Amino acid sequence: MTTNTTSERFTVPIGPQHPALKEPGAFRFNVDGEIVTSATVRLGYAHRGIEKLAENQNWVQNIYLFERTCGICSHTHATTYCLGVEKLAGVEVSPRVSAIRTLVAELERIHSHLLWLGVSAHEAGFDTLFMFGWRDRETVMDLLEMISGNRVNYSVNILGGVKVDVTPEIVEQILAGVDLLEERTKHYLDVVSTDAGFLQRTRGVGVMTREQAEALGAVGPTARASGVARDLRVDAPYLSYSDFPVQMILDDRGDLEARFVVRLRELFESYRLLRELVTHMPEGELATRMPRRIKAGETVSRLEAPRGDVFYFIQSNGSDKPARVHVRTPTVCNMTSVVKLALGHQLADVPLILAGIDPCFSCNDR
Amino acid sequence: MTTLQERWQSVMDEVRTWARTNSPWVIHFNSGSCNGCDIEILATITPRYDLERFGVKLQGSPRHADVLLCTGPVTRQARERLIRIYEQMPEPRFVVAVGSCALSGGAFQGGYNIMGGVDQVIPVDAYIPGCPPRPEAIIDGVVKLLQSLQPALED
Amino acid sequence: MDTTEALALAKEVAGAWTWETELVEPEENRLDIHLKNAGDLAAAATEIQANRLGYLAAITGIDLGAEAGELEALYHFCQAGAVITLRIRLPRENPVVATLTGIIPGAEPFERELSEMFGVTVEGLRAPNHLYLPEDWPDEVFPQRKDFDPAVLDGEAERSV
Repeated sequence: MTTNTTSERFTVPIGPQHPALKEPGAFRFNVDGEIVTSATVRLGYAHRGIEKLAENQNWVQNIYLFERTCGICSHTHATTYCLGVEKLAGVEVSPRVSAIRTLVAELERIHSHLLWLGVSAHEAGFDTLFMFGWRDRETVMDLLEMISGNRVNYSVNILGGVKVDVTPEIVEQILAGVDLLEERTKHYLDVVSTDAGFLQRTRGVGVMTREQAEALGAVGPTARASGVARDLRVDAPYLSYSDFPVQMILDDRGDLEARFVVRLRELFESYRLLRELVTHMPEGELATRMPRRIKAGETVSRLEAPRGDVFYFIQSNGSDKPARVHVRTPTVCNMTSVVKLALGHQLADVPLILAGIDPCFSCNDR
Repeated sequence: MTTLQERWQSVMDEVRTWARTNSPWVIHFNSGSCNGCDIEILATITPRYDLERFGVKLQGSPRHADVLLCTGPVTRQARERLIRIYEQMPEPRFVVAVGSCALSGGAFQGGYNIMGGVDQVIPVDAYIPGCPPRPEAIIDGVVKLLQSLQPALED
Repeated sequence: MDTTEALALAKEVAGAWTWETELVEPEENRLDIHLKNAGDLAAAATEIQANRLGYLAAITGIDLGAEAGELEALYHFCQAGAVITLRIRLPRENPVVATLTGIIPGAEPFERELSEMFGVTVEGLRAPNHLYLPEDWPDEVFPQRKDFDPAVLDGEAERSV
């Protein structure tokens, strides 16, 4: 009797509406049994045409537009834009402005990494970590609300400065919050490195070698988890990072576990930086006068968002509206790697592989 | 129908409405938003806000859902899918538009790729403004919607 | 390699090229290499990669307007804080450029965006279908060109409930 060895070939569609995806993106996985043989991704569900909208609004209105490119890294977008425009206009901001911008940027990094921790754990079916992580994340949201008045889209930037100041009461709360979070992060690092069930989902899964990461142009913690030393805060310090440096966190394993570990260890760096920053806040004015029309010219502004480096190309023709703004977000660079990494893995591993690059479809599509 | 059948029908309707208003099953769809509203919706099911204590369950399939929480200014690409999801929901179904973008297109009004609000595509029952609305505001909006369904029980 | 080293090496490497270029330093961390002949792009990009002068961070498209009759494409390579940009001009009527995905696989999403937003034909691109624009987008309509008229989309989105 001959055995029937033909296996079923099937296309599994995931998205754009799917319980695992909080953002719309349509994936099609061709599977042979349980193993993914090829994958395609359809993006563009969150394409709002921001670059074109920016050409019809003035420089100030655009801060609010670019902030809303992404709700999770909104401060990074607004700061990159403001830094670029200030460079074009030749305006120098005071050290206190840079320090406050850095402070909010690091708080944003903390909120983003904790958010990611929860969402990826949810993808792995580890809902307890999701709930605990987001409960602790509320500490950061409270701090952000205390400083800026809003939990998301904090909008502290204006052209030439910031709208908010950091008072001694806020400093006290930040120090208390950071202490609490550091305790909890130690626990989470312990969980992701030692929990046997979780390790079965992450150790050795979705490996991206250093050569692959460099060839595909990966950025951010995804690249650092594969050993590629790319971190703008270290390579080209901006804002207050030259006075308050951070260490680059690298891992050479390149698998999902490495991505978890790198992001959690980055949190410790953020806590350390926050403590130093709030206890040594430089003095200075909160806002410098900016002209309404920005001098003609072009500039490139880059910042390290929680997901990798954000690239803004801003061109002015001397009027009160930008001539061209091009935004390149980190997820665009990392998305090509997902389709390649998913091949050869089981279908059940795919949501976690996708979550491992910390995808932000709204950043991607703009 | 005999009066017994009519009586049975009205009891079942009462039970159905009671179940729907006391434990609505919610589905969430992001039609192109910046994620701000979506992370605040996710925050409502986390321990500090815990929407589940009101009986609201966030789950995956449109065919099981009573309420659709929709965020985003509805990009052209997402429009078809939003309509399809709405059509897959069994009646009675309710739509809640969460966030300024879902109300009117928000910061992206006039964009070439957006429809400009959820009610340009499907009928909406409740609007929750904010950019993004706080989790408390989202809970308030959902609870108000459920309360507005209560009078249906009375007549 | 840090920012200053990268810029110095880039100037040296580009200065030695035999094809027609113009080197401009618009800011202290940037080097713009204007390539007079768009066909030299692939070779220039290969040289940049070979000298480890950064990764391809972005491709910016600029519409210089109907009067100028040209589009400009900027290929940005980033090494530490240095941004080395290859700039080429393409005719608005039939802009064609060769793909870099053979040398730089990560260039694919950038080239697809350039192609669908500005109408640049990228030869050799493996999957030239829409990346960001929806499936029902009309052909030959390029939203980031200056002469894009949103009215051309009316009547495209009729279906609602």
